[in-house]
Amino acid sequence: MTLPESPLGAELRVTGVRLAAADAFRLNEMGVRLGTLTHVTQHAAFGARVIAVAGSRFAIDGKTASLIDVEPVHRLR
Amino acid sequence: MSCHSPVSAPVVARRGIQTRTPLPARLRVLLVGGPNVGKSTLFNALTGARQHTTNAPGTTVELANGTWRTTAQVKADTAIERALVDLPGTYSLLARSSDEQVTADAVHELAQSSGQVGQRGVVVVVLDATALARSLYLLGQVAETGVPLVVALTMLDLAGTVTDSPTATMQPQTLAAVLAASLDVPVVPVDSRGRAAGGLGALARAVDAVAVAKHPKRVAGILPPDTAVLDIAGELAHAERLFEWVAHVTAQVAMGLAPDGEPPAGSGQPPHRPVATFSDRVDTVLLNTWAGIPVFLAVVWLLFELTTRFAAPLQAYVSQLVNGPLSSVVTSALGLLGLGNSWVQGLLVDGVLVGVGTVLTFLPVMAVMFTALGVLEDCGYLARAAFVADRAMRSLGLDGRALLPLVIGFGCNLPGLAATRTLPHARQRLLTGLLIPLTSCSARLTVYVLLAGTFFPHHAGTVIFALYLTSVALVLGGGLVLRQTAFRDVHTEPLILVLPSYQRPHLRTLGMSVQMRLGAFVTGAGKIIVATMLVLWVLMALPATGQHSVGHVPVADSVYGRAASDIAPLLAPAGFGNDHAAAALMTGLVAKEVVVGSFAQSYAVADPGSRTSAKSLGEALRGTFDESSGGHGGAAALAFMVFVLAYTPCVATLAVQKRLFGWRPTAAALLGQLATAWVLAVLVFQVGSRL
Repeated sequence: MTLPESPLGAELRVTGVRLAAADAFRLNEMGVRLGTLTHVTQHAAFGARVIAVAGSRFAIDGKTASLIDVEPVHRLR
Repeated sequence: MSCHSPVSAPVVARRGIQTRTPLPARLRVLLVGGPNVGKSTLFNALTGARQHTTNAPGTTVELANGTWRTTAQVKADTAIERALVDLPGTYSLLARSSDEQVTADAVHELAQSSGQVGQRGVVVVVLDATALARSLYLLGQVAETGVPLVVALTMLDLAGTVTDSPTATMQPQTLAAVLAASLDVPVVPVDSRGRAAGGLGALARAVDAVAVAKHPKRVAGILPPDTAVLDIAGELAHAERLFEWVAHVTAQVAMGLAPDGEPPAGSGQPPHRPVATFSDRVDTVLLNTWAGIPVFLAVVWLLFELTTRFAAPLQAYVSQLVNGPLSSVVTSALGLLGLGNSWVQGLLVDGVLVGVGTVLTFLPVMAVMFTALGVLEDCGYLARAAFVADRAMRSLGLDGRALLPLVIGFGCNLPGLAATRTLPHARQRLLTGLLIPLTSCSARLTVYVLLAGTFFPHHAGTVIFALYLTSVALVLGGGLVLRQTAFRDVHTEPLILVLPSYQRPHLRTLGMSVQMRLGAFVTGAGKIIVATMLVLWVLMALPATGQHSVGHVPVADSVYGRAASDIAPLLAPAGFGNDHAAAALMTGLVAKEVVVGSFAQSYAVADPGSRTSAKSLGEALRGTFDESSGGHGGAAALAFMVFVLAYTPCVATLAVQKRLFGWRPTAAALLGQLATAWVLAVLVFQVGSRL
């Protein structure tokens, strides 16, 4: 699933970034990489999302958010 | 602050610096860090009032420069000073904008020149304790250049408030010590107000120590890149190695902080804790799908009100002070010196004093705008505003932050231009700065009210509303045309913003920032405004014929009046090719507020303060416009208003554009606005007169 499809607060892992190479690279440099753990903290207008990564909050526009694939993290209890 | 404070003295790595070189008399120090890491706050704390802004050579990227002297140095009057430069914030030295390129170039240049005698410089890399991994990546890139560096660890006091940050539970001094041990370079802890305990001298001592070292230590684990990286695949491979280094340092920090010294589970990636912070709870309202945009509009409305209703009385007060008592004092003083009624009095009172008065009248509105923007930026809302408005500006290829300056421009273009500083990319700032003059400022409203009330008394409101809609259309149309021509390089990039935590603005830092920006306005734009006013006075004081003496000439017989007569025929296709309209438009270049006064003066009637005089002015205008338009006065008046809407707002706007963007874009904008205004006015008249 993509970020806009993800529920608020659920723990997620980034599994794919389908952005142009240069944009994906900058996202990498900022700390959002394959395998990064995250969760959506805010649903904003037009599909835009705010996600939490290592204590930081990233605001991402709707189109870009729809190009970031994530999967839910199931922790063993 | 005592050494027992959580934010304390520098933590220097284990091995001391053995060999030394003399400290240069003026040491160049660069502040490098990501956006919103407290870099500018630290800069203000280090330089105090000893700072000014300049553009980076050959660019329109603004840099804050300052002199950094410690209290001890000031008391002892020692000569060593540090020339401190606050570079644009960046996440990476692989630049993606001209602002980031300035930072990357400055670091590389310093690295190249550092080996030369007397050229030693130091980079202070500002690390955000609440986002350590992201900051470490930039540190790694800077370290690869081989430049001597010191780490300033900021936001330590906020690390605990970001409850899901990996550093949330760490003691600041412990974190700094562990980082220093891991990196093997000096690490100075600094709080979010730019204060380092033990005084900021602690940072100065660390910088000086690195500067005098013959062989400054390199950051542990970082080596210069083997070969130049040319393509993105190479950059990515190289970046992967840096990411591994970041993960290694992060793991070391986590190990050093763990009570048993054991690495935490899954080291390499900090544990993820999905908890809601205070900022998250506030954002549930401010970024909400339905409430976010209304809140943003309310903030913009408040800014608009501040720059118009709140600042306008202050402007009027300053104007009255300059034109009344101050002007009288200067006139009396000149009279006592035997220079009363001479050209010297005209030059000083009507030239210099009017110019200075113009600059001073803009100070309140600029101060209000700089303060309001500073508060929004410091408290963390500005990044949210950009996020909320992003969708609206995307069609113009602009960042969401561009909407704020454009809306402010409808109040007054000057603070709108000032607000472009909140845009992160120089090209976006330039594009927005070229569109702002097309927003119909409140000064133009006085012209609309006079002409719409005179020529369309039953539909004046509709006409004025249509002019504002035209202004919006001009901004959108102008933006699209510029995007397709001179700004093809401005691409719509994905919006990925790091949202800072909400915090209380720091009044001292805010005050210093406002002071610096007002200083830049007065010394930069102010000089151009005063010089332009002097040129205008000279043109009005010089007689075009020999019948008058210098400084005692009616406007119509002056060089200025003659120039108005000469350009009047150019305005004939728009229906207002008469001396009165031409002179009013020329005067309107100074400020749109004086267009109505210019009409009144040229018709030799009083300024329309009373009902009778207003009627007289209206009748005079109708007569002139009817005559110059062949009986289509209404169409000519409409064309005149469109011309006023589209051409250069005032010399102050030109001066600020020149200061921000340089002469070439300013001159191009001036010509473009005049051409656009003329074409639109001709179009309106030619169509309107045929209906």
